[in-house]
Amino acid sequence: MLLGAGWAASGPHPLPTLAWSLGGACVLLLGLALYTAHRILTALDRLTGHLKAAAAGNLESRITGIKAGAATGELAWAINDLLDQQEAYFREVYSAFEHATRGQTFRLAMDQGLHGAFKEAMVRVNISVESLGQVQMMALKEKLISKLTDLNSGNLLTNLKSIQEYLMNMTQEMSIVGQLSKETAGDAEASRATIEGLVADLNRVAEMAVASDAQVRLLHEKSDEIHQIVQVITEVADRTNLLALNAAIEAAHAGDAGKGFAVVAEEVRTLSENTKDAAASIAKTLQTFGQATTQMISDSEQVKALAEGSRTAVAEFRTRVLKFAGSATTSFTQMSRAQDLSFATLVKVDHFLYKQNGYRVIHQGTASPEARAVQSDHRSCRLGTWYYEGQGAELFSHVPSYVRLEAPHADVHRNIHDAVAQLSGAWERNPATQSLIYAHFEAAERASETVMSTIDRMVEERHRLA
Amino acid sequence: MLKRPLPTQQERVLGEDDFIVSKTDLKGIITYGNRHFIQMSGYSERELLGTPHSILRHPDMPRVVFRLLWDTIQAKREICAYVKNLAKDGSFYWVFANITPSFDRNGDLIGYYSVRRKPRAEAVASIAQIYQALLAEERKAGDGQEGMKASLALLNQTLERKGLSYEEFVFGL
Ligand SMILES: Cc1cc2nc3c(=O)[nH]c(=O)nc-3n(C[C@H](O)[C@H](O)[C@H](O)COP(=O)(O)O)c2cc1C
Repeated sequence: MLLGAGWAASGPHPLPTLAWSLGGACVLLLGLALYTAHRILTALDRLTGHLKAAAAGNLESRITGIKAGAATGELAWAINDLLDQQEAYFREVYSAFEHATRGQTFRLAMDQGLHGAFKEAMVRVNISVESLGQVQMMALKEKLISKLTDLNSGNLLTNLKSIQEYLMNMTQEMSIVGQLSKETAGDAEASRATIEGLVADLNRVAEMAVASDAQVRLLHEKSDEIHQIVQVITEVADRTNLLALNAAIEAAHAGDAGKGFAVVAEEVRTLSENTKDAAASIAKTLQTFGQATTQMISDSEQVKALAEGSRTAVAEFRTRVLKFAGSATTSFTQMSRAQDLSFATLVKVDHFLYKQNGYRVIHQGTASPEARAVQSDHRSCRLGTWYYEGQGAELFSHVPSYVRLEAPHADVHRNIHDAVAQLSGAWERNPATQSLIYAHFEAAERASETVMSTIDRMVEERHRLA
Repeated sequence: MLKRPLPTQQERVLGEDDFIVSKTDLKGIITYGNRHFIQMSGYSERELLGTPHSILRHPDMPRVVFRLLWDTIQAKREICAYVKNLAKDGSFYWVFANITPSFDRNGDLIGYYSVRRKPRAEAVASIAQIYQALLAEERKAGDGQEGMKASLALLNQTLERKGLSYEEFVFGL
């Protein structure tokens, strides 16, 4: 509702005087002023409400529907801006700290768009955020390290046991594979022999094909010659025939005197006729014969080509088989080396476990299973069994380093036994006994190092000798 | 209902020392915008209030980004994202948006608060490339659920290759 308009419309006089006009204008102005004051007051009330809420810690609300050009508009926007600065500042600080407490130091508070004191404060906030993040990260790391240590000491033996099991399986599998590749190498050798036989056979076939080809050609030539002879015979027969005819005519002219001669001439003609027939049948036979030999020539040509072709194929196959046999042999060598290495690792782990048990006795006491396990000597422990009667003796007794393993190995056991022997009595309170125990372990460790390197050398030597 | 304009190649740039502030209700309907918001978007305050925030959605933005945005803020966590916005006159402006949930006294979610800052040019250059690839993936799969799945997979794959979480990646740009 417009206040001023209401006042103006209520003027009742049809002839306004100057005084009236002035009075009306004054009233109008006053009304307008009152209205404006009222509007500003209401707006200010609203703004005050927002500011009070903000002062009470509620940064949520904003002034909306701000009329452009209104006297209080600029003020309203200024209040909104202030609230925006405050809210953005608090939310940024919250987010950055919230991330930092989770060790996420990449999420620093963003100061872009903040002004004056807000921006300056943010720099200091970020210093705190960064150091909090670092502390948090360090705390996490330490927690992890201590947890890992717990885990490690608790599980070391179990882990080693599982490694041992794994290695045992692997060794077993490898010996199967080794056997297989040995067989493959044998197979390859056998098939090489077969191939050599096959190649020789094929060579013979090819030679025979070449030889029979020559024979057939000879036959062909001969049949040509016969053909020519038959032709000569046919010609002679024809001419004889003619001569016999002439003789018969002459005999007829001679009358009775020629009668006998006529009979002879007739016989001659019949004879030559027969000769011609015979020659014709020879020629016919020869023709068939010729066709057959032509066929044979082309056949044997094909046989020759075939034999030649399979000879190259077989030669190629032979090279391949040779290569295969070669690679089977090398893979067998490699396999057996890998097998030895895994054997070696296995006995090393066995040895390591023995030592580890020695250390455990210190914590677990002389009545523990570990103490019992440690009692074995260098002949009865797993490494010992391997060395004196097992695969160690079987595979390595011929290499120079084999004999060098015994002494340090016995040393390890002796020292561990001696250390464990000190555990009776009040060793926990006696520094002298403790340093003796320590010295024995140290000696055991040194001897153990020699054991390890000697095993390595044994594997190396076996394969260098092989 | 306001109509979305046709995009042009015209770019607007936010001031280095300014930020855009807006608030929405739980559905993303705008309940407040500061003067930088009004100025950059090109809409009047009256036009913006009561309108969905998607009025600023630029067609170059892959849908998966908003999916991530809503999933995160609905889980009451903050999200930061590079966003290309569409102004009323069709021009565009890049922002680094930070959206956080707002709670009432009882700790109930009542809306969202968003502050948008001017991003570094290099960050925009590299994120634009990734967005392009995501958008292509969405279009290839036909823009439906499949497209979203494919583009989410690509986003995760990209992050996995870098060995970073989404947050680490965004703050590292
Ligand atoms: C506080 C807040 C701020 C937002 N700011 C933007 C923005 O600047 N640009 C934008 O495209 N979407 C913004 N969104 C997301 C939109 O709500 C919407 O999800 C998005 O534009 C995609 O549109 P669509 O969901 O209709 O596909 C914002 C959402 C919230 C809650």
